[in-house]
Amino acid sequence: MTPRTFTELQEVVLDPSFPDLDLALRRGRHVDREDFAWYTLLTDAQDLLEAFYRRYGCELVHKADGYYYLLPTGEKLSRRQLAVGDMLVGQALALMYLDPSTIERGGRATTEDVVAQLAVVMGAEALVRAFHTKKKKYDERVAQKAVRTKVADGIRRLAALGFVDVGDESLKLRPALLRFAEPVRAAGQPAAALAKLVADGEIAMVTEDAEPAEADVDAETESDAGEESTDDDSDLEAELRADDAERAASDAADASEDDEDT
Amino acid sequence: MVATRYEAPPVTSPRRELDQVIAAIAHRKPAIDLGPVDICFLIALHVQSEGANLTSFTEQQLEDVFANASAIVQPEAEQVRRRATHAIQRLREQRFLARVDGQGVVRTGEFALSRLAIGVVEFFLEDDVLTRASLHVLLASLRTAITEVREVARTATEPAQWADGVVGPLQVTIAELVAGIERRQRGLDLQQENFQAEIRRLLEADWFGALDRCQQLLEQTSATLHELNEVLLRDSSQLLVLLQDVEDLAVAAGQTDAEAVAHRLMDQIDRSAAWGTTRQRAWSEYFQYVHRYLRDVVRLDPTRALTQRLREQLAESGDKFALTYASAAPMRILRTVPPPRDQPPVTRPRAPRDREPVTEPAADPQAVLVSKVKQALVDGARTLSTVTAQVTADVAASERFIEAGRIAHTVAQVAQVRAEVERPWVAVGADLEVEEWDTTAPREEKS
Repeated sequence: MTPRTFTELQEVVLDPSFPDLDLALRRGRHVDREDFAWYTLLTDAQDLLEAFYRRYGCELVHKADGYYYLLPTGEKLSRRQLAVGDMLVGQALALMYLDPSTIERGGRATTEDVVAQLAVVMGAEALVRAFHTKKKKYDERVAQKAVRTKVADGIRRLAALGFVDVGDESLKLRPALLRFAEPVRAAGQPAAALAKLVADGEIAMVTEDAEPAEADVDAETESDAGEESTDDDSDLEAELRADDAERAASDAADASEDDEDT
Repeated sequence: MVATRYEAPPVTSPRRELDQVIAAIAHRKPAIDLGPVDICFLIALHVQSEGANLTSFTEQQLEDVFANASAIVQPEAEQVRRRATHAIQRLREQRFLARVDGQGVVRTGEFALSRLAIGVVEFFLEDDVLTRASLHVLLASLRTAITEVREVARTATEPAQWADGVVGPLQVTIAELVAGIERRQRGLDLQQENFQAEIRRLLEADWFGALDRCQQLLEQTSATLHELNEVLLRDSSQLLVLLQDVEDLAVAAGQTDAEAVAHRLMDQIDRSAAWGTTRQRAWSEYFQYVHRYLRDVVRLDPTRALTQRLREQLAESGDKFALTYASAAPMRILRTVPPPRDQPPVTRPRAPRDREPVTEPAADPQAVLVSKVKQALVDGARTLSTVTAQVTADVAASERFIEAGRIAHTVAQVAQVRAEVERPWVAVGADLEVEEWDTTAPREEKS
């Protein structure tokens, strides 16, 4: 397929794919070769689009790994940061993307694989502390269920940003996941790399106090992005208790039936 | 002559029949337990029998073959003779070896591999993988065979000619050839799976060094699949045309068996062609993914240090950071709102809100009922049922039952009633029955 030559921005804007691509980029979508029409348009009109988005105070970033995204550097377009939990999920997915065992499955994985990867690398205890609670005592089942739920939520949010594709039963890992590996790309000190990425506006440092889900730069709120919600945990506990009660009632009924039979 | 359309028989047996078959097999408690030595022993027997044209083995021969197989599989094992006896016994019990001499205890026996054993051996020896050469030969043989069958079908007039010259070859020769293609396709599928695992193993064993070998494997498999797909698509259309001719001839001759067999073969060939297309598509996706992986991951990280550093980053609880991304709010699309109507000015009612209570005469429902009952009696009603029917004519159905009781009570008060010991039930309308009384005219009221 020969590349199209765009000489003027008007031609790019008139391309049928442009409106959807533009909206997707502004909403944080990472575009790779899987998004064939968008990726082709971005590649063919990269110079024009870089200048176009710079006027909105954004950089159209193209990584050698084969993906594009929009990075707001000014105040004209709002920007957000991923939640801490989503960052952990993203890094686990990036590890899986790099692992040759994923090759055997054509770059596919499951949510269980992600939880397993996190548990192996971080340890089960640290995983619960990161996703559920920092208390020393906790109900193991509630905590495990909360971790699974929050990892699944994280995957869903990352899918909306083009890091993975969520299918019926599996996830397809996409090249944009390598963005999570950027701070450790170079062989030098990670701190220096982090400082540079912070200066470029690629990442933001997160303090312990300001760990809520998605830090929002221009103060917009999004109700579904909340984490650390105690309501969720109490709901989970209530749900598990209800399950237990139901099971106990069912066991009692079975036992009485057995008695009647005998 | 009426040509009837072929209707394919159901592929699966009816449920009940299947249940019976499963139950019967379960009743026999079948079980198979073969270790690596047993399997290798069976394979050695099979190869030996083919090489030496043996139809059966003596006990001595069995033990010799076992000793050979055991020397390869378990070179350090001792008591080979005793283990051979046990192995032969195990295979006999599981019906892998059948005694064929029929002499019983009279002399040492002769044994042959059973069908079950040959099936197992063939599975493990299966090296039938679809290649361009094997596919070409198979398709050419198929074309020749179907062309011959078509010629027979054109000239056949007798049912016997159809059975011997058309149905027979279609059922046996041609079906075998198509099955051969399908079997090789399955072999290729298995090879693909192994290939995917092989790429993983190569990368795990020698990350950057395996790059060229992986590229080579990818290119080879892609070329093979591409060629196979091309050949399948081209030749299958020719085969389908030939089989369609045979089917048309069978329909015209009213040969339903021949028609059915031809139809079934067409389905099989369609399936084979579809296999090629789907494998090609799936492979294309996999090919692109692995190529990107090799280029973007392996080449850019030749020492595999990135994985290690990323793992450490995830495991450490050091500085936490978060990726930044654009998050433009969705465009606000204002909904159309109708302009507000002119609201009338708020006023206060001038008239007083509370009304003075008014005294009204109360109607006595019993008095009304008494007058209605009397009227009915005056009009000539002389039984309770007729009075009830007349008085409840305007009463709602839901209240008629209650009203009937009151009517009976009132009739007894205003008239003289007489009832039999056995009072008959008489219907009043569709939903009510009363015990019948005779009544007189209303009593005169005493002044």
